[in-house]
Amino acid sequence: MKSIREQVAAWARTKSPWIIHFNSGSCNGCDIETVAALTPRFDVERFGIVQHGSPRHADVLIVTGAVSKQQKDRLVRIYNQMANPKFVVALGACAAGGGVLQNCYGVLGGADKAIPVDLYVPGCPPRPEALIDGVVKLLSGIKGVENAK
Amino acid sequence: MEMIKELLIQLFEILIYPGLLFLFVAALLADWIDRKLYARMQNRQGPPWYQPLADFVKLISKETIIPKHAVGKHLFRVLPYLAISAVVVCIFFIPISGSLALMSFQGDLIAAAYLLSIPTMCFFLIGWTSSSPYSAVGAMRVLTQFFAYEVPMILVLIGPAIVAGSWRIEDIAYYYSANPSMMFVNILGFIVALITMQGKLERVPFDIPHAETEIVGGVFTEYSGKLYGFIKLAISIEMIVVAALFNAVFMGGSLGLEGFLGFLLFCFKVLIIILISAIIRSAMARVRIEQMINFCWRVLVPIAMLQLIISIIARAFHG
Ligand code: SF4
Repeated sequence: MKSIREQVAAWARTKSPWIIHFNSGSCNGCDIETVAALTPRFDVERFGIVQHGSPRHADVLIVTGAVSKQQKDRLVRIYNQMANPKFVVALGACAAGGGVLQNCYGVLGGADKAIPVDLYVPGCPPRPEALIDGVVKLLSGIKGVENAK
Repeated sequence: MEMIKELLIQLFEILIYPGLLFLFVAALLADWIDRKLYARMQNRQGPPWYQPLADFVKLISKETIIPKHAVGKHLFRVLPYLAISAVVVCIFFIPISGSLALMSFQGDLIAAAYLLSIPTMCFFLIGWTSSSPYSAVGAMRVLTQFFAYEVPMILVLIGPAIVAGSWRIEDIAYYYSANPSMMFVNILGFIVALITMQGKLERVPFDIPHAETEIVGGVFTEYSGKLYGFIKLAISIEMIVVAALFNAVFMGGSLGLEGFLGFLLFCFKVLIIILISAIIRSAMARVRIEQMINFCWRVLVPIAMLQLIISIIARAFHG
């Protein structure tokens, strides 16, 4: 049994995911879709999703694109700058496993080669609906994640 | 027995109404109403009513990181609380539901204006202690902006004081309740006050100190968890306090109503101020810092001066 304090905290966490978007070597297709998802048309504020510029404020790190060897250090640094509890969404085929860029000489592979990833959203690029669906699924799964830890 | 009763009443006033709890609830509600109005003006649904509460609880329950390179670690921790306590103390000078404030003395208008500038100073110091490039730039902008909007703001707050012939917020509100027609003398000043309020609360078009697209999170870049939650709360409370101050000084306070009716009127007028602020926010884009300073010094200050002259003339004829 979780205490009331933990339950309230878990409720708040699922209702207020603040995201930060990081491009780890994407072709820019996924980034355009991420930005499109933040426009008034999709109204992600319904779910409490707000984009924040500073990693210190954000809860969900959205990684787009295959991780290039140069970007790896930056990605890890951004991840370490975020406050616990934090979650990572790998957006697009490239972030999930390298995608079309996987055999390039400068590419390390998917985002999970550098940092732990909680959720993968497939697509090249994924539609904004897929991203919103992914973040909402991630949140409904948060309670399960908490129990597993 | 009497003493204990008095003590309990005082505790109630400080902790519940119109003190901490009332301000907390009002700030969260105001935040939600503001965001909802903003969303509706963009033709979207907007956040649910519990959104600010969820944000606050989430931030409280998150890890709080104190950066290794922060210069004053204690200062870093204390500043958000200092900002919040300054705005909470400020509400005690302002009459809310009736014609009486919790505390009042001759000249408390100036005290309230000073208390309201303490959060700005705290935000400047916050940027300074974080010692990150983004927050340093943000801190500089906070100060520059402060010198631009504070002068017209204080100038227009003087206007009603001259007309009412008193530097007490209570007396000013009482004077306007007794002579509602005199409120129109200060209409220019009220407009200037509403514009400078956007600067004070760092909202669009004057959100230059924490412009996300330029300097990440501005002064608050390094803040996380509990401390950031309190900073956000301080800004929301500041919005309520500034609205309450304008209500008392420009809109005649409770207009002679007492108790529950007075409280309803207060809520209504604060809502109007939030609505105007949301309209300004959604209709405009961010200006550059030097445009803002030019606008404040070249447009707002002359209007405020004109308002001052009008007030003095009105006082001579009426008083
Ligand atoms: S998944 Fe497709 S759109 Fe996204 S970064 Fe890779 S190649 Fe570009």
